[in-house]
Amino acid sequence: MTLTTLAGSPAATGATPVLSVRDLRVTFPSEAGPVEAVRGVGFDLLPGRTLGIVGESGSGKSATAMAVMGLLPPSAELRGQVLLGGRDLIGLGDKELSAVRGDSIGMVFQDPLSALTPIFSVGRLLSDALRVHQDLTKRAAWEQAVELLDLVGIPDPRGRAKSFPHEFSGGMRQRVVIAMAIANKPSVLVADEPTTALDVTVQAQILDVLRLAQKETGAGLVLITHDLGVVAGHADDIAVMYAGRFVERAGVDELFRRPAMPYTARLLAAVPTVDSGVHRPLVPIGGEPPALVDLPGGCPFASRCAVARDECRADEPELREITGHGHVACLRADEIADGTLDPAGETGPGDRPSGSGSTGTGDVVLRVEDLVKTFPVTKGALLKRRVGTLHAVNRVSFELRAGETLGLVGESGSGKTTTLLEVLRLKQPEGGRIEVAGTDVATVGSAARVRELRRDVQIVMQDPLGALNPRLPVFQLLAEPLRAIGRDRESIRSRIHELLTLVGLDASVSGRFPAALSGGQRQRVGIARALATEPKLLALDEPLSALDVSVQAGVINLLDRLKRELGLAYLVVAHDLAVVRYISDRIAVMYLGHIVETGDTETIFADPKHPYTRALLSAIPVPDPRRERARERVVLRGEQPSATRPPAGCVFVDRCPLYRLADEEVRRRCRTERPEPTAVAGRAGHQYACHAV
Amino acid sequence: MAAHMTNDTASGATPADPPARQADAPHLGLGRLYLRRFLRNRLAVVGVVIFVLLVLFSLFGGVFTSHAYSDADFAALTQPPSATHWFGTNQGGNDVYASAVHGLQRSLAIAVSVSALTIVVAAVIGASAAYFGGRVEKVTLAVIHFLLVVPSFLILALVSHRLAGDWRVLIVVLTVFGWMSTARVIWSVSTSLRERDYVTAAEFMGISAPRIILRHIIPNLGSLLIVNLTLGVVATVLSETALSFLGFGVQTPDVSLGTMLADGASTVTSAPWLFAFPAGLVVLLTMSMTFVGDGLRDALDPTSVTGAAGGRR
Amino acid sequence: MVRHVIRKAAGWLLMIAVATNATYFLASWFLDPRSNFKELRPVRSEAQIDRALAPYNLSPQEPLVHRWWDWFTSVVLHFDWGRSPTGVSVNGEIGYRALISGELVIIATVLSAVIGVTLAVFTASRQYGWADRISQAVSIAVFNIPTSVAALAVVFVAIWLNQNAGLHFLYVAGENSPGVEGLFPTIGDRLLHLILPTLSLTLMGYVGYHLTQRSLLLDTINADFVRTAQATGLTRSRAIRRHALRAALIPTATSVAFSIPAMFTGAVITETIFGWNGMGRYFIQTIAKNDVHGTVATAAFAATLTAIGAILADVATVFLDPRVRVN
Repeated sequence: MTLTTLAGSPAATGATPVLSVRDLRVTFPSEAGPVEAVRGVGFDLLPGRTLGIVGESGSGKSATAMAVMGLLPPSAELRGQVLLGGRDLIGLGDKELSAVRGDSIGMVFQDPLSALTPIFSVGRLLSDALRVHQDLTKRAAWEQAVELLDLVGIPDPRGRAKSFPHEFSGGMRQRVVIAMAIANKPSVLVADEPTTALDVTVQAQILDVLRLAQKETGAGLVLITHDLGVVAGHADDIAVMYAGRFVERAGVDELFRRPAMPYTARLLAAVPTVDSGVHRPLVPIGGEPPALVDLPGGCPFASRCAVARDECRADEPELREITGHGHVACLRADEIADGTLDPAGETGPGDRPSGSGSTGTGDVVLRVEDLVKTFPVTKGALLKRRVGTLHAVNRVSFELRAGETLGLVGESGSGKTTTLLEVLRLKQPEGGRIEVAGTDVATVGSAARVRELRRDVQIVMQDPLGALNPRLPVFQLLAEPLRAIGRDRESIRSRIHELLTLVGLDASVSGRFPAALSGGQRQRVGIARALATEPKLLALDEPLSALDVSVQAGVINLLDRLKRELGLAYLVVAHDLAVVRYISDRIAVMYLGHIVETGDTETIFADPKHPYTRALLSAIPVPDPRRERARERVVLRGEQPSATRPPAGCVFVDRCPLYRLADEEVRRRCRTERPEPTAVAGRAGHQYACHAV
Repeated sequence: MAAHMTNDTASGATPADPPARQADAPHLGLGRLYLRRFLRNRLAVVGVVIFVLLVLFSLFGGVFTSHAYSDADFAALTQPPSATHWFGTNQGGNDVYASAVHGLQRSLAIAVSVSALTIVVAAVIGASAAYFGGRVEKVTLAVIHFLLVVPSFLILALVSHRLAGDWRVLIVVLTVFGWMSTARVIWSVSTSLRERDYVTAAEFMGISAPRIILRHIIPNLGSLLIVNLTLGVVATVLSETALSFLGFGVQTPDVSLGTMLADGASTVTSAPWLFAFPAGLVVLLTMSMTFVGDGLRDALDPTSVTGAAGGRR
Repeated sequence: MVRHVIRKAAGWLLMIAVATNATYFLASWFLDPRSNFKELRPVRSEAQIDRALAPYNLSPQEPLVHRWWDWFTSVVLHFDWGRSPTGVSVNGEIGYRALISGELVIIATVLSAVIGVTLAVFTASRQYGWADRISQAVSIAVFNIPTSVAALAVVFVAIWLNQNAGLHFLYVAGENSPGVEGLFPTIGDRLLHLILPTLSLTLMGYVGYHLTQRSLLLDTINADFVRTAQATGLTRSRAIRRHALRAALIPTATSVAFSIPAMFTGAVITETIFGWNGMGRYFIQTIAKNDVHGTVATAAFAATLTAIGAILADVATVFLDPRVRVN
């Protein structure tokens, strides 16, 4: 019943695979020696089926996709077989390959913003794609292009075909990229992280379009992603990639029911999820994936594995069939499969957060009242004329106590980051009031007082590599905030030692440059730097989204421990509700500059009131195929409108599923009257702003 | 004046984090890595050797001759190269070899100091404009554009006509009217650095603006500055020769490669040695610096397209 | 489109005005017409010199602002650019010269851009092939040769060709031959004289375009959208030609404006070597003779050339880049 079968053996079902990959190997040259990005990957793909390839960054999944497409740079060395309809693509010249690409095999790329040629209209791009392989007149190709745009859900396809890529939103551009990929009805579709750059509600739409496209063409789909939730809902078979190889390959149900490779099992245990009331602890995987240069012998996961034996370090295990569990590359897979061995070893759940019991105990560290922030929208190159106003944040209020975490959640453009930056600016806001540790920032006049206040508020940023100056070693990075508050040399030295211990880093890293640190270590340095001045409030801007799942869990646990030990208050901004759930005591959901719902984390997850919160929750894929497929989901129509002209009434009205069902009176109010926050009876602090609930 | 031509596009590449560097850094010090990459580029090594030889020649070349550049040998006017006058003599009986040593020294001194000063001025102005943004940026850019559009050469000629003659004044004048195109390149790269998270983070830590510019922006322009320093030498040599050729640069009795070119140009058919030796030196100098600059860019910026195929996707 | 160009032209007009007036003040500070009289015998008194200069609005006795205002109004109202210290009308000098130099600079700019970009496109898609390596080596060599040396090399080669290959149409001196009569012979003669100066100026100019365009193209070749184009079934070279090339041309088009001042500098040297009586040589003469008004007129001419280049570049950008067009 597995539809992807072991390399070499014929497909069990009798259907001919459209794509067969055999022992694929990709090597890139580098300064440090050849990087073995892909080390022997093989699979069969049947028509109409979906193979999900899951892996963390650097696991070789994108290189696999590029190798299949024949789009690797010339410097890459490629071996093995890629059989498309029985024909081996490896070794073909560019001219022969180009006859195949776009015709029998189409590709969807990760970043739709840069994937479309900026100087051509999308209609032109599509009709060019058609005319490469089909003998069509310009007019006929244009007509087909319009049909394709209609198929992938672009409203007013005829009119929009004349528009240029920069006039489309990210989600719409990704639809165009999909249309280009399926233009010539290929038998194989390769999608490389097709939704990573998009918001969750748009991700749900794009995954639907992808499924539709697959149905329309009958193509086999290779879906490459880092998101276990996405494959759980959309793949028939899953291959888990680690250090350039498949380490486990099985049908989606078997894989999620009982993963037999310790890496897969530990990965699943480390992923935060949104569904079900159970607040299960996250167990991080220690260590980092190996560099793919001069790999030592043995299982590449052995050094991070809790159940590794000596044999594991001697030879690299081959992928072998385990009855009822597909194929696994682990010596102890049988024991794990029959339930006699726990892949997590004896480590157990570790220091699991104490939970949300601490709410509302400490002093108020931050109070924001009716915060307003607008940006002018200008036009013209020489004399900039103001043509509009972008209402980024509109009357946002919340408060935050010591020892408490508030998560600001929303999609891009919701105003969450602007709110955070306004707080960090420590200047009088455009509208409303900001009070930090009892001081109204508007009343702070002198620069010295501002500096004083700065010590209390610090930030941890999204991309740990970008947030650290690459030209300074760790010691200097940590010394900087201390020097800014005038500490002397000796106390700086001892404080840095303290800080490194606090975030769980070895003192030896202090001489290293950020580039020489791993992702997790960098984020720990970022946190240590923020803690240097002993702040009361830590602003965390997407603190986990740049980290791999296996590393994420460790940082989540660290943040939790620090909060308890130091009595910090966290203001977390994130787009990922699943992650926020694990670090927040309270959540505020933002949409188009407004807080639409706020309440205790578990209350919001258990009983969301606002239709947007519900849609947001249901759009997040759950890494469990049965629940993910059975779940009732609210897929929102359209995309968040521009904040330059927000609707007069409720800002969510254009996309609201409840609005469409509501009666005339309620609809009128939704259109004309901005809903005020309403408290939910019996639940302290739970408020939502909706007329229709 | 042509300094901006090759490095406009180096912009995006500067502070990237190529996988190659990540993998290497723990094993090799960055300095060792850069050196290894540089030495692999044969032309760059040749460039360094030529440049060092030229510097040594300009400093110690005079030891090998008894003539001084200012001495006139009236017994030998316009003589081709011979045993006594290795590069021949000019119409005034000056020894061309001695003149060439001295002229090279002048040209080198002018080129190196102008290039260094220009980089400092351009880095501070370009990076500050990008960092402060708003009105400061607008005004600075307007001034830069204005000065780029008015042929700076014209102003140079106008100003140096009155002031020059003294080569030190020429250094100042060339710097004052030569920083704009480099500043523009630095500005455009700095605007992207300004948006870097580490700059924002530094602001939120309460670090002062000058410190942010000096510690967080300018060091991260690193390779751009070094490459521009070498290309600046080329550009300055070329403008100095052009100015002196037209009689606006170094003035007699002082001698630079430019004045020698100007003197030799009129007799290029009858006494070609007067033109050939300075011309050869100028080209050797600019070529060697171009090779060094290219080699430095490849070594410091592995992501730049001119570099060899690295481990890039 | 037309409105866009008009608005840009207005901006440039302002720029020219500011540049010209700034040059007036600079020239007045740095050029001293009185020194022209210092060498004359019998020695003139200060008062005599001032009196001689006064009719030409150059007397230092008059405050600078007054002199500037007189000059400025005469330029604006009568388009009269003033007189040299010896009383020669600037207008009379530059009318003819501007045509010569304008011809030289604009033809050389256009040729440089076309040749440089073509070469870059041709070689970038064959990166590290022999054609790329050779053209790259030649361009780097040319880039490092001073204009004066290159122009003289051109003269040398031309003379050698004239002598040995029996060619007689390569003129190494002057912008026309004396005694040519009739419309077509005159034009033909002018064109023949133009060959060598244009050649040496183009030689200096194309290098910049070649090297910048090449690295721009190599950057764009790795862009995501080129990969997408390949994924739709274009070969690499077709994807580059159709998708990368136009996108990579945009920054080059904008850089044309900034290359014209350098071109003008090149023209000064080229005109000196080829004995052309153009603006470049005039500029050197005016500075040497402390001719404030002549110098300022040259600056205005150079700024106008730049503006023309910039507007052409703008038109090209609008044509190439839909993102500009939509705004």
